[in-house]
Amino acid sequence: MTGVVTGGWSFVIAAYGLTALVLIIYTASVVARYRRERQRVERGEP
Amino acid sequence: MKRYDTQAPISAKVPSKAPWVFLGLAVVFLAVGSYLGLFVAPPEHYMGEVQRIMYVHVPTAWNAMLAFSFAFICALLSLFRADWKWDARMEAAIEVGIILSFLLCMQGSIWAKPTWGVWWDWDPRLTTTAVMLAAFLGILTLRRFVDDPVKRATWSAAATIIAFVDVPIVYFSVRWWNSLHQLQSTPETVSSAFHWPLRINAFGVLFLMIGLIWLRTRVASLRLQNELAPPPDEVPVAAGALHPEGAR
Repeated sequence: MTGVVTGGWSFVIAAYGLTALVLIIYTASVVARYRRERQRVERGEP
Repeated sequence: MKRYDTQAPISAKVPSKAPWVFLGLAVVFLAVGSYLGLFVAPPEHYMGEVQRIMYVHVPTAWNAMLAFSFAFICALLSLFRADWKWDARMEAAIEVGIILSFLLCMQGSIWAKPTWGVWWDWDPRLTTTAVMLAAFLGILTLRRFVDDPVKRATWSAAATIIAFVDVPIVYFSVRWWNSLHQLQSTPETVSSAFHWPLRINAFGVLFLMIGLIWLRTRVASLRLQNELAPPPDEVPVAAGALHPEGAR
């Protein structure tokens, strides 16, 4: 035991990968909801 | 305190391109910051490569708390000015804050495993963060279940003000109690080699947060517009008129 963490790239990749995935999915969902609402208003639908 | 006007029109201004500009800036900043953090910055002496999680974890934490702080300001303005635009902004800020807080907990958990030996620990910082996430998630859930826009705006603004009490507690938890989580870093306690990726990613997440809150506010405003002022062709029909018996 040296008290130094060795390796660890898999944790780094997991953290960055999960962050990117969640942010991309959420951004896409906000953009999709915005377009849907705009289209609904333009068509005059309730 | 004013009352919400259910006949008040919501701004019909032509939407600006600003949120898209912020989203574009966020992509550029996050790409550059993450590249520097992953491939240019040196590994930390004790934590090695795992410390690179800091470049995404710390900006997420700062901006999650910033999003909830903005939601708190919106809640106050929504209550005292009774203006729908602050209600829409509050809803957007809470939702974006929840996404960032969820990510914060996930990133922290992934960082905790190789450094603390556990995925989660009920330490003051982690516990108060989990309470913050649960509280704001509860407010968003409350909004889903209340159909009356005035009650929804009032109740969720009051709940946001109460839930916000936990945000400074999250921040100061590492100072007030013995915590496994480290104290807040400052430029004096962090090696200068780590500054740039951290700062660039902090701005990246900030721009992303602004762009998303802006766009999500428009979604909330359009929905409110529909709730408050139904289209003209939706003429109110007398009770029973649609029923075959009522058509006689």
